Amino acid sequence: MTLLMNRRHLLVGAAAGTALLASPAILRAQAGPIRIGTLTPLTGSGGLYGPVMANVVKAVADEVNAAGGLLGRQIQVISEDDQTNAEAGVRAARKLIDVDKVNAIMGTWASAVTTAVAPLCWENKVFLFTVSGADSITQLPHNGWLVRTQPNTTLQGRKFAEFCLEVSGGKRAFFMMPQTPFTQSTFNNFKIAYDKAGGATELLIYDDKKPSLRTEVDQAMRYNPDCIFVGGYLTDTTVLMRDLFRAGFKGRIVGPGYSINQKLVDAVGQPEATEGAYGMLPSPQEGSSGWKKVAELTRQASPDPFSCQIFDHVNLALMAMAQAKDASGQAIRDNVRKVSQGGGDRVDTAVDGIKAIAAGKKVDYDGASGPCDFTELGDISDVKFRYEQVKAGKMTLVRIA
Amino acid sequence: MVNYIIFILVVAGVYALLAQSLTLSWGLAGLVNLGLVGFFAIGAYASAMTTKWGGWPIPLGLLAAVLLGLATGFLVTVSTLRLRDDYLAIVTLGFAEVVRLVASNEVWLTGGTDGIAGVPAIIPRAWGPNYHLTMLAIVSALAIGTCLLVNHLAKSPWGRALRAVREDQVVAAVAGKPVVVLKAQAFSIAAAIAALAGAIYGHYTSYVAPDIYQPLITIYVFLAVTAGGVGRPVGAFVGAYLLIGFLELTRFMAEVVPGISPVQAAATREIMVGLALILLLRLKPNGLMPEKNQKSPAGTFPTGASR
Amino acid sequence: MFWSIIQALLNGLVSGTILAVPAIGFTAIFAVLRYPNFAIGSLATIGAYAGWFANVRLGWPLEASFGLAFTGAGIAALAAEWLAVRPLEKTGALMMAICSLAVGIVLENMVRFGFGNEPRGFNVPLMRDIRLGDLRISPQQIENFAVALGLMALLWAALNFTRMGRAMRATADNPDLAKLKGVQPATVAAITVLVGGGLAGIGGMLVALDTAADPLTGFRLILSVFAAAVLGGLGSIPGAVLGALIIGMAEELTVLLLAPNYRTAIGFAVILIVLSIRPSGLFGEKSS
Repeated sequence: MTLLMNRRHLLVGAAAGTALLASPAILRAQAGPIRIGTLTPLTGSGGLYGPVMANVVKAVADEVNAAGGLLGRQIQVISEDDQTNAEAGVRAARKLIDVDKVNAIMGTWASAVTTAVAPLCWENKVFLFTVSGADSITQLPHNGWLVRTQPNTTLQGRKFAEFCLEVSGGKRAFFMMPQTPFTQSTFNNFKIAYDKAGGATELLIYDDKKPSLRTEVDQAMRYNPDCIFVGGYLTDTTVLMRDLFRAGFKGRIVGPGYSINQKLVDAVGQPEATEGAYGMLPSPQEGSSGWKKVAELTRQASPDPFSCQIFDHVNLALMAMAQAKDASGQAIRDNVRKVSQGGGDRVDTAVDGIKAIAAGKKVDYDGASGPCDFTELGDISDVKFRYEQVKAGKMTLVRIA
Repeated sequence: MVNYIIFILVVAGVYALLAQSLTLSWGLAGLVNLGLVGFFAIGAYASAMTTKWGGWPIPLGLLAAVLLGLATGFLVTVSTLRLRDDYLAIVTLGFAEVVRLVASNEVWLTGGTDGIAGVPAIIPRAWGPNYHLTMLAIVSALAIGTCLLVNHLAKSPWGRALRAVREDQVVAAVAGKPVVVLKAQAFSIAAAIAALAGAIYGHYTSYVAPDIYQPLITIYVFLAVTAGGVGRPVGAFVGAYLLIGFLELTRFMAEVVPGISPVQAAATREIMVGLALILLLRLKPNGLMPEKNQKSPAGTFPTGASR
Repeated sequence: MFWSIIQALLNGLVSGTILAVPAIGFTAIFAVLRYPNFAIGSLATIGAYAGWFANVRLGWPLEASFGLAFTGAGIAALAAEWLAVRPLEKTGALMMAICSLAVGIVLENMVRFGFGNEPRGFNVPLMRDIRLGDLRISPQQIENFAVALGLMALLWAALNFTRMGRAMRATADNPDLAKLKGVQPATVAAITVLVGGGLAGIGGMLVALDTAADPLTGFRLILSVFAAAVLGGLGSIPGAVLGALIIGMAEELTVLLLAPNYRTAIGFAVILIVLSIRPSGLFGEKSS
């Protein structure tokens, strides 16, 4: 292993040296930093997730810059706020595209913002990476100008259901979620899996602005479920978990990793109220260092899935540019799949990937949110899930499958 | 940079239309419409649904938006006619929220939270930069035209009657003015203008979804009108451009503040927006272009009744 | 079904009582200063953070934390009133209302600047509900209920039996007459804003106790607060209480009988119905 590493380093060094010697003209011509943009919610209802996401991208760029940059240039990250609002988001995207001349925008969160911003991106040859959940996004006529790291609802709904069936050991699940562009389709896929297993399930769409969800919980309890799926975001899930605890719900609670996580445990306060709840998030294979890397960058023992996904966005963008030896949006569009899939040296950070590419190797990125292999439409083709459970007030890994 | 400025000017044009709507209902008639964004949404949906799903030509879609705006505006006035202005403000605020809830939850009708993507453009998007330039011309012409229209209305006998109602509806009624009819007319036309703005914005950005229509937009339009001058159409027009210009400027101002995180930069931007309005109200309480020779409408809001 | 309706009404009674606290604050400021203070949501947020700071960072017990929530939000309200809103008195109530909107934006983002967007949970033990036959009630909510009721009783006593309280009521009824009787309008206004803002702060903390404090705590609350105050009649304290209870119960019944996702909408449906019969709300002043 050590020998291999040394050899690789040697090779990379040599390659970088020759590259520098060979192309001074190009370097001079392209002076100035390579600019990438983040468009995450820093205010408004998504404001809980966006700031960490922006910081992750900055941290990755810093590491790449410290390791010598990309194509002889430094990376500059410009972070704008979409205010969790499509009108403000479109203005911010315009600024990123026309004023900052970014070649990629990453991290759009709300589906409405992504759908509104996407046409601007493809019209201006700027590549878009998104974490939005609506299935409709990859069906836009984007012609290859966007990829989405959030698994689609067919995959998620089925996986959620299979896990609920498994941990509850029963056949009745109650599905509670606020109205989002992926609520109905996630539930439909959830129901298909429950029906197939001979079980029963019911959907309740609640208002996520309310400080108490007691009557909603009463409705859930009357259904007599052995498992409740809580599909909201952190703030409303906090309310829901408290009210489920008060009502004395004894069954299993399962939810997505962006709401069932350490922050939830801390926000709810009382350890027993969240004890035993399961969170699931898209994940790379066990032992992948990408996930640990994000945990380090965000200083969270168990980072949220959106931070993991944007970590993959920035790494993929940088490696695609390295692969093309060109820092344009077109280069990212044409090369993102060349570095994300198709075999080759497994890499999990842009720093390693850029070195390997410079050494003339084919790379296959394995990210923090999964293997990051994309279909033609821009959806991820397959992903494992990381199953975690709150044990003694800490998120504990159950398994990755 | 040029494309960015063109885009911002188009958005500002849409806000200028909204500002005209507010000038008519609030500035001239004294009806505080905190549900402006609801009418904006209704217009956007009417035109997007008829043109995208119904295959109607775009002019018909815009007409549908205007008519539906008129109709809902009329409906809202009828159900709130007897309310005092401060009550009206809060009821209309609720109206906008109900519009957003219906658009989110009635999937069969509106497509739900997914919204309607790929709303047809007024002119071919394939024109590239020329598309945006032409849209700028169209939107600016509409905004200027509406501004002139509202200005004309304000100076007409109808506008004077409206202002009389605004100043004191009891006196106006005694003087034989049809108070109820005047209010309903002003509010409905204002709603139609907001609906037209929504339709144009939907066609321009090609996307309509419930989450776009948040109260924030109403607040911005109030800021624009207050900054420009309440009751003066030209003031509201200028105010809209100033507002969007300032909103964008804060982006660049927040960038130069050293040592703050992105979320602090975002918070700083919004603080600047709020402070700017507070300062403006203090230094120029009647806006940059106050209404000429008219008593400010503000004095009539809530009730002087009990004083 | 019968018991589920009773249970929903009980839930609504509790949530309505909590809603009543900031609604009283909003309506009291309106009664004396004659403008709707749209910063009430941000004041609730400030109260939630002040309470959280006292409870979690300083380790104070809840009772003392409520004190800081009241003081923090009250002082913020007073500062905003003096620095931003008061100077506009001559330009009319609507300008003051719009100014309060701007104040709200500034306050919310000051909180965001200082604390970020992460939710901050309180250090309160969570208790299981007490069951009474088919009904259940949470001890915590009984406590919150008691706090809210106690505050209302205190306020009622203060308004009726103290000199300042009587001055406040006199000013609300007829400012000119009150001035003739020697009431200092500036002092009355200042105290009203302090108390009104403070009540909003306590309301924010009550809500945050059950959720968590974050920069949007107040924003999520305001639509219901406005609905409650308007329903009861702007400027009427008993009206705000009754309005809050009705809104609270109507919302819970919506979950049970209509659709949970229309909870917010139903409040406004109720308002429209009530206002079409009584245009000034349940206890509002007669309209002009």
